[in-house]
Amino acid sequence: MESLDAFRARARAWLAEAEPPEVPLDLDSRFTVLRRWQKTLFEAGWVGIAWSREAGGQGLTHSHQLVFVEELVRARAPQPIGLIGLEVVGPSIDRYGSDRQRTELLPRLLAGDDIWCQGFSEPEAGSDLASLRTRAVADGDDLVVSGQKIWTSWAHVAQWCALLVRTDPSVRKQAGISYLLVDMSSPGVTARPIRQMTGDGEFCEVFLDQVRVPRRNLLGAENEGWAIATHTLGSERAGATLRRRVELEVAVDDAISELRGRPETPRVRAALGRCHVAMRVLDAQTRRTTARLVAGTGPTPLDSVDKLVLNDVEQTVLAEIAGLLGPLRAVLGSHPHGLRSQRWVHEHLYSRAASIYGGSAQIQRTIVAERLLGLPRG
Amino acid sequence: MADDEYGAAVDEYLTRAYDGDRLRELLDAGAWHPELAAELAGLGWYSLAVPEDRGGLGAPLSALGAVFVQFGRHLVVGPQLENVLVPALLADERVAAVVETGVPVAVVDHGVTEEWAEDLGSVTLTSGRLSGTVHAVRFARQASLLVVIAGAAVCLVDPAAPGVRIDELDSADPGTEFARVVLDEVPADPIPDDDLVARLRSWAMLLLACELSGLAHRSLEHTVEHIGRREQFGRPVGSFQALQHIAADMHMRWTGLHNLCLATLADADEASVSELAIMAATAKAHAAEVAVSVCEDAIQLHGGMGFTTESVVSRHYTRALALRAWYGDQTELRRRIGASLLHETDPRRTT
Repeated sequence: MESLDAFRARARAWLAEAEPPEVPLDLDSRFTVLRRWQKTLFEAGWVGIAWSREAGGQGLTHSHQLVFVEELVRARAPQPIGLIGLEVVGPSIDRYGSDRQRTELLPRLLAGDDIWCQGFSEPEAGSDLASLRTRAVADGDDLVVSGQKIWTSWAHVAQWCALLVRTDPSVRKQAGISYLLVDMSSPGVTARPIRQMTGDGEFCEVFLDQVRVPRRNLLGAENEGWAIATHTLGSERAGATLRRRVELEVAVDDAISELRGRPETPRVRAALGRCHVAMRVLDAQTRRTTARLVAGTGPTPLDSVDKLVLNDVEQTVLAEIAGLLGPLRAVLGSHPHGLRSQRWVHEHLYSRAASIYGGSAQIQRTIVAERLLGLPRG
Repeated sequence: MADDEYGAAVDEYLTRAYDGDRLRELLDAGAWHPELAAELAGLGWYSLAVPEDRGGLGAPLSALGAVFVQFGRHLVVGPQLENVLVPALLADERVAAVVETGVPVAVVDHGVTEEWAEDLGSVTLTSGRLSGTVHAVRFARQASLLVVIAGAAVCLVDPAAPGVRIDELDSADPGTEFARVVLDEVPADPIPDDDLVARLRSWAMLLLACELSGLAHRSLEHTVEHIGRREQFGRPVGSFQALQHIAADMHMRWTGLHNLCLATLADADEASVSELAIMAATAKAHAAEVAVSVCEDAIQLHGGMGFTTESVVSRHYTRALALRAWYGDQTELRRRIGASLLHETDPRRTT
């Protein structure tokens, strides 16, 4: 197998020639550009690096995948558009899917021909995900789905949705959930983007009205979707933490470059010093994450500590940098201390979501208190 | 021996021979205990990182990190920093004696802080003579030898030499005795080592960060035990989410500090002098912030008892506060790190 150093050199060389696209602000053109970028990456063999060759991947390791993510971020190149499919849904289909599901769905997912979204959260089922209410009722060879989902990224342009539905309302709430693969062009599916405080709108709400889904689109067995979802969310976390670490490193490097050569104030020094300390903390913390990811340890309460550390670092770093914008924060296109206000305002606002998505900080704290510290259950 | 084995051995001994009533008695009697220093010398703890050709155990300096974590966890009082670090860094017969006796060497360093430099004083070396005053020196009254830093020079001075005056000061640190050192035209030969001052300060910073990490760890351990046992409203208070989330947050902060210390130690032996200065400052800046805040939460979760000296968490807190700004607190160190990021090549770009 190709050594990590050789792989890194090859990735770096390719990225230097690849001319990665600028990410457009407009949502529709952003989707088009990033989807084309995924296709480019796929054809060059940079998508599904740790996936098996049978599933259409490169048959390398998680370490290779991490190296590529690092190089991609350092090259200031965008991620492929289909991250939800690549990191969350795809691995679940690969592990729990039928042969037919794997051969029909995975190659198109990797190539970016199909973009996937994830229909898990509902307006009334956020942290308490297992209380979800979207129903699927058997009717012949179909399941008929009705309900509402929310925070479903790119749902308005996606081809497929990984949907959690309640198939048995009579049992304990985790036990009656199934994992469905839903064609987004099915009659009865409506998706509506929600505008966020960053100005972006890739998060959607999805309405499902009597949507007929063939039974063969169940992933795994009926009423056994909760375990798959848990696996899915667990496999998402470690990889996402490591990617975010590199993104933050690049952000701090960029901020330093922008600040260099400008009049230096104690506030600028203190802010950068604090960013550096926070980044070293994250680096030290993720050395263990990397070891767990490569060893394939699976979800553990230690992931919750990682997530809390990541949230804290991300929010500290971006608040420190954005704090240097001062009163010019609100002036679009300004460059206080040399910093590009538009970028840092956007990144700072987005950092506030870090302690909400993927299991809120409160949920993580309860997991740490009960499962790691062994405190009595409340 | 692996680094964590040194830590485990120290932990085992201190748990058996130091914790509990003995610690309480020691704390009530001040910070200098000759019999304790002799005992630790007898265990060989002061020769851990002394090279083998000088009669030591020859462990790398980074192996001391795990030992200082345990010194912090067990709230070991006395001149551990000086007695462990100085013999490891300085090849000199007069220094070597400390390894056998435990009678401290004191480091007369006016540069433990930039922010309070004027309050701390200064020392200059002119024509082979040291002059100046340092208003806070750890264990100078008890020391058999003074390691005096003047600019980039390090000189060894006999505390009984003419021109040396040492005034005892009262201490609010449960683990440290302080004195003022006044030098008036004291003859001295600088040790020929350009990097010694920087290495001494960096390692002091890093080991203090480890000690602070240990202080935070024990405060957390006491807290988890306490709130799991203490009952109010008919159930353990640790079952209340308000307390659980504070405890989880303490754990998160301590874990971050602990991992930062481990990662810094893992890289420290290979680092250049200038790299180590930033790495150590980074660890110390974080330790200063985290240890104090974890100890404050520990007092809060111990309720009224946490505020008393009967509960050891209050002693951990006063100790953490005393160590916070010794070789720089977070405010001072962040500025120093930030300035170096703006002016030098990025220390992270090592790969």
